[in-house]
Amino acid sequence: MTTQITSARPAAGPRKGARRRPPASNATKVGRPSFAWALPAALFFALFAIAPLVMVAVLSFMTWDGISSPQFVGMDNWSRLMDDPVMLNSIWLTLLLTVLGVVIQTPLSIVLGVWAAGNQRNRAVLSVIYFIPLLLSATAVSVLWRALLDPNFGIPAEATWLFGDGNLFGEQATAIGVLAFVSTWQFTPFHTLIYQGAARAVPEVLYQAAEIDGAGRYRQFFHITLPQLRNSMITSMILMIVGGLTTFETVLILTQGGPGTDTTISAYYMYDKAFQGFDFGTGSAIALALVVAATIISLVVVRVSGYDKMRSTMEGVS
Amino acid sequence: MKTRARLPRLVACGATLTLALTLSACGDGDGGSGSDGKIHVLVYGDATNKVEKQLVEKFNKTSDVKVVLDTLPGADYQKKLQTIINTPQAPDVFFNWGGGSIKPFVKAGLLMPLDDFIEKNPDLENKFLPSVFNNAVVDGKPYGVPMRGTQPVLLFHNKKVLDEAGVKPPKTWDELLEAVSALKAKGVTPIALGGGDIWPTQMWFQYLYDRVAGPELFAKALGGDKSAWESPDSKKALDMIRELVDAGAFGKNYDSVKYTNAGSVQLVASGKAGFELMGSWYYSQQLTDHPDFAEKSLGYTAFPTVSGGKGDPKNVAGNTNNYYSVMKKTKHPEAVAEFLKLMYSDDFVKAQMDIGNLPTTTNTKDFLDQAADPKYSRFQYDLVADAPSFQLSWDQAYPQKASSDMHKAIQQFFNGQLDTDGFIKAMQALPTD
Repeated sequence: MTTQITSARPAAGPRKGARRRPPASNATKVGRPSFAWALPAALFFALFAIAPLVMVAVLSFMTWDGISSPQFVGMDNWSRLMDDPVMLNSIWLTLLLTVLGVVIQTPLSIVLGVWAAGNQRNRAVLSVIYFIPLLLSATAVSVLWRALLDPNFGIPAEATWLFGDGNLFGEQATAIGVLAFVSTWQFTPFHTLIYQGAARAVPEVLYQAAEIDGAGRYRQFFHITLPQLRNSMITSMILMIVGGLTTFETVLILTQGGPGTDTTISAYYMYDKAFQGFDFGTGSAIALALVVAATIISLVVVRVSGYDKMRSTMEGVS
Repeated sequence: MKTRARLPRLVACGATLTLALTLSACGDGDGGSGSDGKIHVLVYGDATNKVEKQLVEKFNKTSDVKVVLDTLPGADYQKKLQTIINTPQAPDVFFNWGGGSIKPFVKAGLLMPLDDFIEKNPDLENKFLPSVFNNAVVDGKPYGVPMRGTQPVLLFHNKKVLDEAGVKPPKTWDELLEAVSALKAKGVTPIALGGGDIWPTQMWFQYLYDRVAGPELFAKALGGDKSAWESPDSKKALDMIRELVDAGAFGKNYDSVKYTNAGSVQLVASGKAGFELMGSWYYSQQLTDHPDFAEKSLGYTAFPTVSGGKGDPKNVAGNTNNYYSVMKKTKHPEAVAEFLKLMYSDDFVKAQMDIGNLPTTTNTKDFLDQAADPKYSRFQYDLVADAPSFQLSWDQAYPQKASSDMHKAIQQFFNGQLDTDGFIKAMQALPTD
């Protein structure tokens, strides 16, 4: 028991033996992973992701109200969507909310993440409290904020100098502001967590060297920390973008796409068409368009950022 | 975040479109019908289920064909029902709101017209209030038997607030407008409105249209004659709504207020608003949230009359009742007919009154004195019994698929995003079948 623990530690005594043993056992007993290993996962993926996706694609060329049998209508659903002002508006709103999310959350979570990467005790406690929103479901968060922002009995009633008559959900600009704020409140902790981990992984020697060279805290942050966070930033931003494109619960509970169609983002419009309007064909078309858009944008971000080259930062500072 | 799980979830959501068909119908698990020699009755899952369970137990004691009560919880009842209605998981008998909520099913040929049952047992029609029974009549044939209770929409008020402003509960529209300016001068919001939910906003439309034009206009529009929306009466009703909103009757932030999170309820109870137009369930809501206020200062009246209006001032709007409809494919029609008879039994009425519901059977009046608040129950009963017409809530009268677009138009007209012509166009674009 004890020997195993010590042997697992590279720094401790019998380092050579510990290093030799695992490869040997790997080669003889386990063998190289074959395709068969991926089968269960692949089956599940095919059953629960690929098959529905294909069905949705087929359904987007049909008209179906959920009761009668579906009928092929060719490109009808798609061409109607192209001319639909609500659809066009929903794309614009989706992009706006996504960009707002990235622009607000990225700087915020970098600063907080780097701060939380410090090691004083009070930071640890504060960090834990700070991460609480991450543990709540989007539904709970939305219900909570809807109540907190009630114009007569919530925060706006107490701070009329800031909120005026408190009609936050009755006007487009403020309704979008609330949506952006609530998702920032909920999701910044997650991205902070990413940056915290990344900031902790920056080799201490870099800072020591910089200090010897006379760099101050801000110089260290901009010339060491930030470049070192580059890959984490890409990961975080891809998650934000894909998440932003498919935001749904917050809109469903906070605004129901309203007032009117002022906050009807694409994902909500899909739900509205399919499950409120019983137009499953159009709903499927919107869903498919969203999947395609999210995939393309993710690929573009990966490509532009050079993430796909899998460059390692372990080799040195680049 | 907007998490890593979002995209798959969205896809999964799409998958539900197709896979929903294979899902089990019922909250209680043992869905499906016909094959097991039982009748499956599907109802909206809520507190009222305890009455339904009692009735089913009683029925099963004497019947060879047993009834199984399946409950479907949650506000998405209608959406879930629609996904299972044409599958083997469909129930034999199911809860609905009559009107447009069953029209698509009738059109698809899934429901059994009840005239054969009624021919054999005329009580199935005679024992219910006609204005209520008629709301489940589609294309001249009855497709539903009333169950649970009626929910007329009433104009509630805070007696204290009205007294302080020297206002009497308004009997006419002009009195209401006067009350609005008097309350406004006192610095309170004249009328509380949960505009964030939109359906409370809709109540103002359905009542005013009925008062100004009578029930015929809406019936015509629902029948597919879209010119009804362009009629002078329609425009007059819209002008009156505009006038009321512009007079500041609802304050400025009504779209941010909700009824469903008790925001508007609290406005009235705390004296920050004078009136609220709401279904009869409002009373028990206030009794739960603010018992002291409900007992001492909560007043209620019928919707004001409109001078020169074509509609009978006695007309009522709201949720007429819930109904049991029968699937055509049921294997035990005789047992179903027996089961439906329970809906006008004394036991049924008593049990419903015990939990605050007001059934719409003719024998209900014999039990009014046993209600929790006999005065309130009697007021409602008389209102509904005397009503020549009971306008079913617009979003229930139209097919379910129209409700979202209708809500949008109503909210947009109310807050000024749509003008009269825009609203008329939006209503004309709604599907009616």
